[in-house]
Amino acid sequence: MISLTFVLVIAAGFIFLTLSRGRAISLAAGDLASLHSRPSYHGLHAFLWVVLVGITTLLILSVLGSSLITAALMGDIADALPDSQRIERQLILSDAMSLSRGTVASKDDALRQEVAVRFGTYEAIRVWGSVLISLGLAALIGMRSLSRTTLEFRARNSSEAIIRRLLLGCAIIAVLTTVGIVLSLIFETLVFFENLNWRIDKYLFGTRWSPLSGVSAGVMDPDRVGAVPLFAGTFLITIIAMLVAVPIGLLAAIYLSDFASKNVRAWAKPMLEILAGVPTVVYGFFAAITVAPFIRRTGEALGMNVASESALAAGVVMGIMIIPFISSLSDDVINAVPQSLRDGSYGLGATKAETIRQVVLPAALPGIVSAVLLGISRAVGETMIVVMAAGQGANLTLNPLEAVTTVTVQIVMLITGDTEASVAAGPAFTLGFTLFCITLGLNIYALRTVRKYRELYD
Amino acid sequence: MTNMRMVDEASKMQDVKIESRGVHVHYGTNEAIKGVDVDILDKTVTSFIGPSGCGKSTFLRCLNRMNDTIDSCRVTGKILMDGDDIYDRAVDPVQLRARVGMVFQKPNPFPKSIYDNVAYGPRIHGLVANKADLDDVVEQSLRRAALWTEAKDRLAEPGTGLSGGQQQRLCIARAIATAPQVLLMDEPCSALDPIATSQIEDLIDELRASFSVVIVTHSMQQAARVSQKTAFFHLGEIVEYGDTPKIFTNPEDQRTQDYITGRFG
Ligand SMILES: Nc1ncnc2c1ncn2[C@@H]1O[C@H](COP(=O)(O)OP(=O)(O)O)[C@@H](O)[C@H]1O
Ligand SMILES: [Mg+2]
Repeated sequence: MISLTFVLVIAAGFIFLTLSRGRAISLAAGDLASLHSRPSYHGLHAFLWVVLVGITTLLILSVLGSSLITAALMGDIADALPDSQRIERQLILSDAMSLSRGTVASKDDALRQEVAVRFGTYEAIRVWGSVLISLGLAALIGMRSLSRTTLEFRARNSSEAIIRRLLLGCAIIAVLTTVGIVLSLIFETLVFFENLNWRIDKYLFGTRWSPLSGVSAGVMDPDRVGAVPLFAGTFLITIIAMLVAVPIGLLAAIYLSDFASKNVRAWAKPMLEILAGVPTVVYGFFAAITVAPFIRRTGEALGMNVASESALAAGVVMGIMIIPFISSLSDDVINAVPQSLRDGSYGLGATKAETIRQVVLPAALPGIVSAVLLGISRAVGETMIVVMAAGQGANLTLNPLEAVTTVTVQIVMLITGDTEASVAAGPAFTLGFTLFCITLGLNIYALRTVRKYRELYD
Repeated sequence: MTNMRMVDEASKMQDVKIESRGVHVHYGTNEAIKGVDVDILDKTVTSFIGPSGCGKSTFLRCLNRMNDTIDSCRVTGKILMDGDDIYDRAVDPVQLRARVGMVFQKPNPFPKSIYDNVAYGPRIHGLVANKADLDDVVEQSLRRAALWTEAKDRLAEPGTGLSGGQQQRLCIARAIATAPQVLLMDEPCSALDPIATSQIEDLIDELRASFSVVIVTHSMQQAARVSQKTAFFHLGEIVEYGDTPKIFTNPEDQRTQDYITGRFG
């Protein structure tokens, strides 16, 4: 019923759109210039009002109604069973709802039947009330818009004002959700630190990570929440990834922008972009199934001891994943270096190599740096590849042939593990918040350099 | 008899810096230059005038083989500099461009310090042995480009921070620093205000003492003020070439007459 009403409200919107537009046209009597706004704006104005008022009323009434009903029925149940637990009453209520809807309930007794009947009545009032009131209000508003359709009415300005507010609303939602997520990260982090008796130093500098072993009632042992091995692992894998991605990506970008013919460019650039579109989970099992065994066999052939899950495998594959990212961004900034600078250099008798090395790259450097920084922040936050290929044990080492674990892997393990979510959430949120701070810093710095660089040439 | 001819040839060689014979330029299938013969003299300012799109820039870029950097561009015919064909296989265009400097329409200083901008050419070509010599070359070039007094206290600042006119003089200094014999300028003042323009014009007049200067310009007054020889281009050909005063007061060709009196352009 409620969802049908949505459709009805929108239909009403279209009806008033047509009516208002028709009225505007007939008022103009053939001389459209005598209208302040074009007829379609009169229609749009009516439509926006009808739909906005109708849907808002419907939402508010039905949501508000639901909670009022729940509150009232809970009160009734409390009167009937004064010494019951809250959770007990909730069970009775949900059983009663099921009974009223004709689905299966856990138990059937007189109280439940009585509440069910009452629920049925309230529910009918709620549904019909919100449907009728919202449709009625929509119709009223529609009539008002229709009567406001006159030659002088500034329908365009009014509907643009409404749309502007709608856009503002969406922007606010986007900002508020971000703020909300960050705030909840901060909040959970603070709770976690409180459980540690504020031994933040243990978290930042401790070298042993097994936060959930021996946890009782959410109190953690500060000696077991040292995040250093995780950050060391993340750092190691990121370094390996960048050692792969930066040289290859940058040289590919130089080739594409300054050496490749139009034809090569025409197919090579889309190819790289396809590479950027491969889901990271695919890279993950590529790393785990193909690259890691290959590295292990090669290592054994050379007489080295290689773990079957190694930082090297994860890092190399992550580097491959980041190549298109770096080459595509660098290619853009290298292309943005004006041709006139290259001409100036050629005109002085510089070769292509000298021109690229001494003029093009320095001019593009800020952009390249920020491409690398953005690449790093991707590597730091990357999860799938390391979950599959890097290992799980918190192992403090800088040897790329050993298994290491990363911040993201540990977050996955905490959340998907068996421990109760409320206990595991603390360390997970804290790790997430730390990671967020790092990538945020990198991104801000990177974007700022890009902006400075844009100003230089615009 | 033979001796006499040799002497005659020699004096002519000294006078003519660049000889162009039957030069054609194609961009793909579009013929932009349709057979140009011209002798450009040493220690002289030659100006190229003519309506837009008639091929002045294209021909100018033939003289230092900048057209080689454009894929679709094909140059045929002969261009001799001091009697040697610059399109010969034995000539490296990179070396040629050190001898034939170029200043572009829009000032294009590198995003480096003023000093490094001027030092760019000498460093690349290994023209100087040590830092002191390089300092010297930079100072001399900036002086000759009439920028020294303004720039001497800010050599370490970026060249892009100068005003438009100063940037263009920096580009001239940068070109002079590689010790070229010919200086090509493609509308060097079109992006500048009148004061900066007149500074550059004075500069061109002084540069004539050391170089052969070729300047493309859209301003007939500028051509008349700075050049001794003028070539009028029209639809890819040189319609008329001669002493500047003669071209502007007593042109032989009707099309030249029409252009300089502003009847088309
Ligand atoms: N890079 C290029 N590619 C293709 N055609 C060009 C290019 N540069 C110039 N042309 C063509 O060559 C002709 C001459 O151009 P240009 O030498 O720039 O003329 P001007 O400098 O006298 O205004 C024009 O028709 C122009 O379209
Ligand atoms: Mg031109």
